[in-house]
Amino acid sequence: MDTSLMSSPGVMMLFGLSPILALGLGGLLLMLAEAFGRPVVAHALEAQAIGAQPAGPEGQIVDAGAGRAAELALGAAVILFAGAIFSVALWLVGPENVTATERVAPYLLIDRFSVFFSFVVCLGGGIAALLAGGYLPEHRIERGEFFPLLVFCTLGAQALAAAGDLLSLFVALETMSLGVYCLVGLRRTSVRASEAALKYFLLGSFAAALMLFGAALLYGATGRTDLAGIGEAIAGLSGDGLEGRAAQILIALALLIVGLAFKVGAVPFHMWTPDAYEGAPTPTTGFMAVAVKTAAVAVLLRVLLVVFADERLGSWGTGWPPVLATIAVLSMFIANFIAGRQESVKRMLAYSSIAHAGYVFIGVVATSRSVDAQASVLFYLLTYTVSTLGAFGALILAGRYRAEAVSYEDLAGFGRRHPAAALAFSFFLISLAGVPPTAGFFGKLYVFKAAIQGELYWLVVLGLINSVIGAYYYLKVLVFMYMREPKPGAPFATPMRSGYVATALVIAACFVLGLGILPDTALEAAVAAVLGG
Amino acid sequence: MLETYLPLFLLFVVALVIGGAMFTLGHFVGRKPLGPEQAMPYECGNDTRGGRDVKLTVKFYLTAILFVVFDIEVVFIYPWATLFKSLGWVGFATMSAFIVALGVALVYVWRKGALEWES
Repeated sequence: MDTSLMSSPGVMMLFGLSPILALGLGGLLLMLAEAFGRPVVAHALEAQAIGAQPAGPEGQIVDAGAGRAAELALGAAVILFAGAIFSVALWLVGPENVTATERVAPYLLIDRFSVFFSFVVCLGGGIAALLAGGYLPEHRIERGEFFPLLVFCTLGAQALAAAGDLLSLFVALETMSLGVYCLVGLRRTSVRASEAALKYFLLGSFAAALMLFGAALLYGATGRTDLAGIGEAIAGLSGDGLEGRAAQILIALALLIVGLAFKVGAVPFHMWTPDAYEGAPTPTTGFMAVAVKTAAVAVLLRVLLVVFADERLGSWGTGWPPVLATIAVLSMFIANFIAGRQESVKRMLAYSSIAHAGYVFIGVVATSRSVDAQASVLFYLLTYTVSTLGAFGALILAGRYRAEAVSYEDLAGFGRRHPAAALAFSFFLISLAGVPPTAGFFGKLYVFKAAIQGELYWLVVLGLINSVIGAYYYLKVLVFMYMREPKPGAPFATPMRSGYVATALVIAACFVLGLGILPDTALEAAVAAVLGG
Repeated sequence: MLETYLPLFLLFVVALVIGGAMFTLGHFVGRKPLGPEQAMPYECGNDTRGGRDVKLTVKFYLTAILFVVFDIEVVFIYPWATLFKSLGWVGFATMSAFIVALGVALVYVWRKGALEWES
């Protein structure tokens, strides 16, 4: 650290922002790479041979990104994993040693909390990019825009976890959301995808507006926009000042919770989730279930523990814990019951992600009782990221073009016909169900442990009941894969061949197994990353 | 308090009286529409032709949205320009990065063919 290069404030500033800059610059370059390349389409190649404009089957001009998903996916994955590696490097040096980044504070707070989340969302984004590299060409979705958008969405998620000001919080939230709306509607000719994108967009904008209203009320009540400043101002209120502003602050709290719970997809703000998740291309679904949710929980933690840290607001009598506990219980029960009744595996995974939001919220509620609970939430999100992306990846792997794995019936006999793909699917589902020695087990264990330390026994009991209900529909997939045979003449899923999907699954599997066998390193990191720890 | 808002109140009253008077007088004094000719939609003196629900080509939407995007982004340059000297080199570097990003976006739009009217 004593070399002259590293002591220069400019270089240190760049280093401190390197995870974010890597994605920003990389995204711009990828955008240009996408626009300047030649489309790779069989028809386009023929057209070029006779010197005509490249034209698609219907005589339309082919998009420059068409047919190049493989190379663009590689670019996006390199950028996103580079972001993850920069995050690790920054973590090892220690963000607290990189004092030059204080110049961008409070707009972006480069602390261990945000660096941890930067790593998690970059990892999730990178795996999603690899999955898309296999999925998009297989399913004839010739849109190169996917990859720059994915990088920018991840950038927004990173910035959201690092936001320390109401303004940067909202800008980051929109950066993330706008891209995801497009990613959902990528399959433009599909009615279902358009419905999903429109539904998500309208409800998402509505939630964003509610959040903005909450932010405006907070600014009105305290005259500050930086989260820490608002927190101090609220803590300093007493007597008449408190009388006049208590209602305003409580409404702001409610609006912010609603807006963020919407992004997390927690009951009762989950109505868009199944349709949007089902209509979106599967890699997008995985990305939404993982990075968007993770970043929203990150900012929720920061808002609750920095802005509404005041003991009156953090108490069980007058504050947010009972509200979040209700959301957690509703999310777990409703999502698990509906998930068990789904015919479509993808829809089941969508409901499962709502249920997981419930488990995460148990940890968030427990943060009102102990600081350690934050670490359990962070660790849970890491395990959830790799397990969920693995499950969606396995679902992608299981389906070739026109022989996709949609319903449970499609997967009948899958284990006998394609043992490797079935094994991968089972592995990630077992992790989602929370069976040792997978990451999902330790994720749940630490969240429940934190809740027990916070003496929230009833919440733990409800969580455990739900884990059992959840195991039912995860194991149902296994039952179909290994114990059923397809009905005569019924369609069945055939796995696709793709190095990208296989690589993504190997990466996810390494994390799931690694976190399941040796959770200590990641847990220590999560403990070090807590806010105010 | 009351005196401060008195002019505002008077303004309301005057606006209501004038607006209301015009409508009321028009109702009583004005002539009623004479026939179907006068009740027809007016289109610059020409006969109306074609259906009501004409679809505008999607090009207009694209052009409009591109205009809004770049217009809003250019607005950021104005406050920066007024504070150019006090912001110094940091301000210059920040705005340069912003304009480069804007330039990349423009190049992207151009390469993607969004600026082509005939296609």
